[in-house]
Amino acid sequence: MDRMACVDLPALPLQLLLRRRPEWRAHPAGVVEDDRAQAPLTWVNEAARRCHILPGMRRNAALSLARTLRVDTVDPQEIAAARAEILSALRFFTSGVEPSRAEPGVFWLDATGLSLLYPSLQHWAERIVEELRRRGLHAHVVVGTTRFGTYALARSGPGARCLRDETEEQDLARRVPLDRLALPPRVRDALLKLGVRRLGDFVDLPAAGIRRRFGEEAHRLHRLARGDLYAPLQPESEEEALAATETLDPAEREVDRLLAVVGRHLGTLRKVLRQRNRSLRRLHLYLRLENGSEREESLQPAEPTLDTAILLELLRLRLQGKPLDDAIEFLKIEIETARPSQTQSELFTALTDRDPAAAERALARLRALLGTGRIRCARLVDAHLPQARVRWEPFERLVEARPRSVHERPLVRRLLDRPVALPGHSRREPDGWMILGLEGGAVEEVVGPFVIEGGWWVREVRREIHYVRTASSGWLWVYYDRRRRRWFLQGAVE
Amino acid sequence: MSGLIDYAPLWCHSNHSFLEGASHPSELIERAVELGLRHLALTDRDGVYGVVRAHVAARPTGLHLVLGSEITVEDGSTLLLLVRDASGWRQLCRLITRGRRRCPKGESRVGWTEIAEHAEGLIALWGGARSLLAGEPDPVFVTRLLREAFGDRLHALVARHRREEEVPAERRLRERAARAGLWTVAAHEVLYHTESRRDLQDVLTCIRHGRTLSTAGTRTAANRGHALLSPVRFSMLFADDPDSVRRSVEIAERCTFSLDELRYRYPVEDLPDGRTSAQHLHQLTFEGARERYPEGVPGDVRAQLEKELALIHELEYDGYFLTMHELVRFCRREGILCQGRGSAANSAVCYCLGITAVDPVRMGLLFERFLSRERAEPPDIDLDIQNDRREEVIQHVYARYGRDRAAMVANVIRYRSRSAVREVGKVLDLPEVEVDRLARLLSYDHPVTGELLRDAGFDPESPVHQHLLRLSVEIQDFPRHLSIHPGGFLLGHAPVHDLVPIENGSMEGRTVIQWDKNDVEDLGLFKVDLLGLGMLSAIDGCFRLLRRHRGMELTMATVPAHDEPTFERIRAADTIGVFQIESRAQMAMLPRLAPRQWYDLVIEVAIVRPGPISGGMVHPYLRRRNGEEPVTYPHSCLEPVLRKTLGVPLFQEQVMQLAMAAADYTPGEADQLRRDMAAWRLAGRLERHRDRLIQRMVAKGIERTFAERVFEQIRGFGEYGFPESHAASFALVAWVSAWLKCHHPATFLCALLDAQPMGFYSPATLIEDAQRHGVAVFPVDVCHSEWNCTLEPCPDSTEGFAVRMGLRWIKGLREGQADGIVHARARGNFVSVGDFARRTGLERAVLTRLAEAGAFGSLRGQRRQALWQAQALDREGGARLCLDEREARARLHELDWLESIEWDFRTSAHSVRGHPLAPLRAELSRRGWPDARTLNALPNGRRVAYVGQVINRQRPKTAGGVVFMTLEDETGFVNLVLWKQVYQRQARLARTLSLLGVRGRIQSESGVIHLVVEEVFDPALDRAPQRRGSRDFH
Repeated sequence: MDRMACVDLPALPLQLLLRRRPEWRAHPAGVVEDDRAQAPLTWVNEAARRCHILPGMRRNAALSLARTLRVDTVDPQEIAAARAEILSALRFFTSGVEPSRAEPGVFWLDATGLSLLYPSLQHWAERIVEELRRRGLHAHVVVGTTRFGTYALARSGPGARCLRDETEEQDLARRVPLDRLALPPRVRDALLKLGVRRLGDFVDLPAAGIRRRFGEEAHRLHRLARGDLYAPLQPESEEEALAATETLDPAEREVDRLLAVVGRHLGTLRKVLRQRNRSLRRLHLYLRLENGSEREESLQPAEPTLDTAILLELLRLRLQGKPLDDAIEFLKIEIETARPSQTQSELFTALTDRDPAAAERALARLRALLGTGRIRCARLVDAHLPQARVRWEPFERLVEARPRSVHERPLVRRLLDRPVALPGHSRREPDGWMILGLEGGAVEEVVGPFVIEGGWWVREVRREIHYVRTASSGWLWVYYDRRRRRWFLQGAVE
Repeated sequence: MSGLIDYAPLWCHSNHSFLEGASHPSELIERAVELGLRHLALTDRDGVYGVVRAHVAARPTGLHLVLGSEITVEDGSTLLLLVRDASGWRQLCRLITRGRRRCPKGESRVGWTEIAEHAEGLIALWGGARSLLAGEPDPVFVTRLLREAFGDRLHALVARHRREEEVPAERRLRERAARAGLWTVAAHEVLYHTESRRDLQDVLTCIRHGRTLSTAGTRTAANRGHALLSPVRFSMLFADDPDSVRRSVEIAERCTFSLDELRYRYPVEDLPDGRTSAQHLHQLTFEGARERYPEGVPGDVRAQLEKELALIHELEYDGYFLTMHELVRFCRREGILCQGRGSAANSAVCYCLGITAVDPVRMGLLFERFLSRERAEPPDIDLDIQNDRREEVIQHVYARYGRDRAAMVANVIRYRSRSAVREVGKVLDLPEVEVDRLARLLSYDHPVTGELLRDAGFDPESPVHQHLLRLSVEIQDFPRHLSIHPGGFLLGHAPVHDLVPIENGSMEGRTVIQWDKNDVEDLGLFKVDLLGLGMLSAIDGCFRLLRRHRGMELTMATVPAHDEPTFERIRAADTIGVFQIESRAQMAMLPRLAPRQWYDLVIEVAIVRPGPISGGMVHPYLRRRNGEEPVTYPHSCLEPVLRKTLGVPLFQEQVMQLAMAAADYTPGEADQLRRDMAAWRLAGRLERHRDRLIQRMVAKGIERTFAERVFEQIRGFGEYGFPESHAASFALVAWVSAWLKCHHPATFLCALLDAQPMGFYSPATLIEDAQRHGVAVFPVDVCHSEWNCTLEPCPDSTEGFAVRMGLRWIKGLREGQADGIVHARARGNFVSVGDFARRTGLERAVLTRLAEAGAFGSLRGQRRQALWQAQALDREGGARLCLDEREARARLHELDWLESIEWDFRTSAHSVRGHPLAPLRAELSRRGWPDARTLNALPNGRRVAYVGQVINRQRPKTAGGVVFMTLEDETGFVNLVLWKQVYQRQARLARTLSLLGVRGRIQSESGVIHLVVEEVFDPALDRAPQRRGSRDFH
């Protein structure tokens, strides 16, 4: 008899949340889709269920049922990382592990033959539970004979269980409450209205009637539950890591030779990428130098590519822009991937005088030369304070410029990165207002003040902006900060 | 005025520029006076919403109020228009009306040529950041157009707010003004009266734009430069241009118009045979009198009519009475129930014209309460119309007078505690859930406090929560937007839009003026109130059902005037569903007052009011009525006044009569006393009567101590006194409804349910009460129900009829869909759910809803089976899919009793299958909690615990923080009293739990039973009934 097991980490996102916020364990708690009051709950704990809070319920509605409810969001990356961690842990117990595509906390394991390696399958299951508990995760493991039977029982049962045979499995599975299964909320609620609360009631409903009323998804679940659907275990193979390392002996300082080494590795990785129908989106390079220092570089081509020549060119530019301090004794290459872009769509793009693709390539070269974070663009922001009117953002993509037509040419202002405090001279000194100090000379003309007062709800700002002209300078842009009681130079005006 | 420095703020927005200005008009006026200003212009945006308030506030101060408006033009720019004279006011109102009528509610746009066409009597100030004159493109065409239209009344407005962008804009404006030959005038846009309101102005701006403070950007003002400035600060702002400052005063002085100049004439009705209004009214009145008194008009009535008609004619109110008569005649002709209420019932003319139903002469009602020469204010006649047909009357008024001469009075929606907290919280970017939690703890007019913040889990010490607290209080009573008064009409002989701008209401077919009821009253304009009254709809429905099923012809007038069984029911407080005397407080009073005749109902209606309660009149009256205390009068002259209320003043008119009899007040002075009583809290106006009243009473031989007590009673009466005439009108409706409930309970229930929503109780409570009286109520059924409830012969039911619930009670079912069901059924009975689906073509969502509601009971007994069938239908419409009856049968568990009731409540807000607590009675009894019937039979002082469903909560202002709650179970009600400290201690449970447990002591007195609560608790039943909304009054 083939044996399989199902591992269920109930409400995995919620477990991750509680692993992060252990002080919430004593309360009704749930994971919410986002921060809106009307956002639906995606996962809830037992304490919340006792308060009749179920997944799918709106955050506001849930709070009206339990005022002590704690909710937060869980990042998809956090879930993906945890899934990888669990997968790796489970592979220690069996080579055949199939993670569920639909539910992040569900895994099926191949348990056939393992009773020879472990004292019993019960013992094996308990070891799994124990291992996951050591990682701060709570799991149910059921060893049985069918995919759905073990799944249903794992969703409802505590700890580790090993079932004798298929009959026992079916018998127990019929008693599983329906709300423990991953039914779409609409179907779950409709079935509950019909008084169908347990899996057994569900299984007893006519199959054609299920499909007609609740659609294919529910029908598939129904067939699975009845055992009408063949669903063998489909273990996920361990994906080859997209990374390469090499210790260079002797250490290498020559750029061309170094590029040759990197190119060789990229060639190998490119084959793997082709097999997986992926392209290289970003290249991470870790270098350990002979003098013991380390250096990390990230390179991003203009678009995901399999062209190693482009990548090597970018790397060359980077190494030229920032030469090596010493010879390299160890290197590690890691790559991030993306789906290949649809270049065919470019055929339909109207040709213009300007070549955006060339600009993108140029920007990629600049990034390679100066560093990724150095290429930024200014975005105008609607704000009162001059320095708040511009936000510097990473320059990701080139967009077509659409300048607004103006009747009068605006003033050109140079804004200092940070306002400079000015010497505290009085405006009524005998020789005039020496705003820049004696070397700047007296102020000859002043325009202002223009008053900006705001931010009272966080940190109040009160500034009186003036434009002043001194004998030795052009027009300066200064302000008096009422709260700090001193003058600052903001910039200059052309 | 500060020395020689003077200026006039010509550009001011009050908070009647909705969500823009941050000060009340009165605050602007007060501040202007404080600053020594002589003039102030109110120029709200595209409207004159705040001018009456400003006018009333400015009148006693001597400040010259200039009226105007900032008009939005179709290109998005604005122009400031100031009213110079009466023709200018007309033009401004017309112009705003044009702009408003063509736009959706809340917006206005006019064209430049329209402005030019309406230039007469107006002064135009052109400038500011939103104007074309200061913009980048040169508006040559518009400049020429305005120059030609306004001539020397067009000025360039130089606006300064210490903003950088203003410098180039001012330069452009000055250049263009010089080129066009316009004088400049200095101004700054005033949005609040002091700088401290800037924060609130930012909040209002954010609300208007749907932003938070941190994302509002430049939508909020750059600085605090929009406060009303002192002359010195303003002259400093324009130190380089004193001429423009001086010119602001010159312009203000040219604007001489005041609202006192408004000349209003009431419309003249069509008069036959060249008769005058007075002659026509006289004839109609005496024709009516002959109908009212078929035995002959008594002499005192005739004298009263002549006296009233003379005064009506003298005050030129004939037209108004003719209008009311015409409206009543229209209602009668169309079979619409209506009845005048309020002080109109004091008028014999109104009685004879059929406007009111109470004979004021026989009842000795005081005419001066209605109309007095001294007051010279328009009479106020409120006409109650059956709710479901009020729109017909409204449309009749529009049709008769035209949209130009009739418009509905506005109702300004203002911020109250909850809305204030919600919107300010949103602007401060506080989590919606937390703000919602706080809002739920607030009642209608309870301001947010630090204590409440703490209760809701906020930290009152945190700066952002302090902002929430401060701003939520500041924003209270600020106008939010304009709505329509429930039934107030302004009618005019001349077009109303010459008097006040008219705009579109949100309801289709409605137009509304920019002033509310108080504004209209302050200006002495005539208002016609057409109010909807649900009980009249119910009574009308009841009469129709009786005619149809029993052949009985009844009217309000033919319902027996006295009926002992009805009084017995009333004395037993068996009055659920009866007009006015059904509330918990009224029901508690009924056994004590024990009404035996109709006039007792008049007293009953009036006595359970804050005035008599806070004035300490209730207990003395009850003691005297029960013979526990002798009926005495402080002076023989007061006996005629107080005789009918056993020496205790209960009605507003009695206070007036008391002043007339004991202190020799003229009727007009007495009416002024009444009005001052209403306003004493605000202005202390009552105090000026104190010496006069007491001295005159003493001079008349009344003991000073008594005189002082009388004055204290008057003060206690305050604004809450109830007029006898009003009580009498209500008592009539109460009596008719009580009689119908007593003799035709099934019919009454049927009509009452169709008239919902109305009254004090939910439909579920009305049904349960009727069932306790033996009325059979059948559930909604697609094979029997119509849209409304109907009567079906049923020998087992009281009255021989059962009530069949109508399809209207199924949530989500539209009337058109219900009509489809009825029409399909008329062609042959439905034989199955599939047959029903095919023939009605209803969509699956509706079918499942009908199944859940049990409406397929006759076709498929079990609800879940019906639901299973309905779920199988095609999503869009049952007609397209042939429902397969041969499909394998599903085995489904049937609903138990509690589930059935819960499904009923979920789908139709009631259940005829029982009270939600009935299925749980065994468990409740096991845990030692009695039912309401058992509890109400317990002796006084017995301690008891009880669990029931909350059906209402009340916290009257006069009760000093005491909360009254009513709990219900399948056997009846339990009335709770929660003393202030008990409520405060357990407010959260008491406010939020639907199924509530209480422990306390029985208080039983004169047949009135209360449970005085010492503790509330959550009963935490294994199976609790679904949450059911209670009707809360705070």
